[in-house]
Amino acid sequence: MNLKSMLYIDRRIIYLLVSIGALIPIITPIGLPVMPTKPVAALFDAIEKMGPEDVVIVSFDYGPSSEPELNPMAEAILRHLFTRKIKVVVMALFPLGGNEEAKKELSKIVGEFDLRYGVDYINLGYKEGAQAVMKRMAVSIPDVFPTDADGKSTQGMPIMDRARNYRDVALVVSLATGIIGEYWANLVNAQFGVDVSVGCTAVSAPKYYAYLRAGQMMSLLGGLKGASEYEKLVGDEYPAIRQTYEQPQEKKISATTGMDVQSIVHVIIIAFIVFGNAIYFMTRKEGGK
Amino acid sequence: MKRTVPLVLTFIVGMYPIFAFFVPHRIVSDLNDRLDTWLIIVAAFALPLGAVNVFMMNFSKISQRKKGWPYSLVILAGLVVMGAIGIAGAYRQDSIAQFQYLFQNIVSPLQSTMFSLLAFYVASAAYRAFRARNVDAAILLVAAIVVMFGRIPFGDMLTHGSMTPLSEWLMTIPNTAAQRGIIIGAALGAASMSIRIILGIERTYLGSGKD
Repeated sequence: MNLKSMLYIDRRIIYLLVSIGALIPIITPIGLPVMPTKPVAALFDAIEKMGPEDVVIVSFDYGPSSEPELNPMAEAILRHLFTRKIKVVVMALFPLGGNEEAKKELSKIVGEFDLRYGVDYINLGYKEGAQAVMKRMAVSIPDVFPTDADGKSTQGMPIMDRARNYRDVALVVSLATGIIGEYWANLVNAQFGVDVSVGCTAVSAPKYYAYLRAGQMMSLLGGLKGASEYEKLVGDEYPAIRQTYEQPQEKKISATTGMDVQSIVHVIIIAFIVFGNAIYFMTRKEGGK
Repeated sequence: MKRTVPLVLTFIVGMYPIFAFFVPHRIVSDLNDRLDTWLIIVAAFALPLGAVNVFMMNFSKISQRKKGWPYSLVILAGLVVMGAIGIAGAYRQDSIAQFQYLFQNIVSPLQSTMFSLLAFYVASAAYRAFRARNVDAAILLVAAIVVMFGRIPFGDMLTHGSMTPLSEWLMTIPNTAAQRGIIIGAALGAASMSIRIILGIERTYLGSGKD
């Protein structure tokens, strides 16, 4: 086998190595240490300063394709909010499954706490027209959502009396894929002054740094790494949450375990890039001779 | 008439929010709020419009037996089944559970699988195409490796914790500079296109242009 043929290695070998690299940490988690970064810690600190009198909107602006990165994020943030007894208004602006993700995550997390629907939290469901919805919510949230995700009237629900419009909202957390997170930053923060935090997939994180630096977002959770950092922060502060993450079923799907997989796969990809370039330069040198 | 009425309507509903922004009087803002409510209703009509479009495109593909028509059949089957159960959910409680079941057991795994495949394609593509052929490509390659190491705990273990700060610096400073250029450019483009539509210069949204 000459060097040049190495450049055209069968892609199935690459796929096989990536598969092995992804499977090993799932079977035997490594537990690599996670170091929280400033953009993630900013959200944790902001929620730490809130209490039962505060209302936070959590908008599920993603679908199943972003589940592996954004579900752990949603779970860690909801656990933190409910532990702090903060009132949570859940909604969705992503048409392809935002509402289903919200329902799934709420049904999983709510059972861990002593919460009353309509008092401590509510799921307003999906509403079409992202920017128009955001703009109208500045005037009246109950007008935009006269019914909740199950079609029940929101009128008379105590939490809706405390979330009439953005003036009552301490923070918006958008778990976003695509452009909806940007709308929260450049419309809701810029026009109405509400603090906005965005949790997004790693691939869309770079564009959000511009909003973060401009002060239109107060924090940013990028991909699985952001989720694992948040899991560490809440786990370190709240032993009950840490115990939840230590349960075998929960550990298997946590972002922290996911980071083990991501680590191995990234190392494999980097190794391939370095290897490919090394062969490229060696063959170029041979060609020159 | 067919062109004048839409042009006049577009001008009025396009100019009014701009006018309301600069005239914060109650009467003006009340009407503007009403326009926002109408916008939500109009946006909701985009969904059935999209569904009709998907149906027509794929139906014609199947009827003409074009290349890949069986895939269109799957799309239409999915559209009809999920759509019917979803609409039935407005009247029957058990349909909501059925919709949730189908979503969690078919749509969700399928989309997750599609997204997961990226890891394999990225690895293969990076090996084949990511070459330091010149200085620009070499800078991109080094930045990519730093960011990839910065996104995993292993990178910090190798470099005694210096990879995450270095990666954050790359994302916060050079990346932000580039992103700002892109965002400002896109925003200016969107603003100029909006002005063209409001003033009736851009008329492609009206259709073929034949009265």
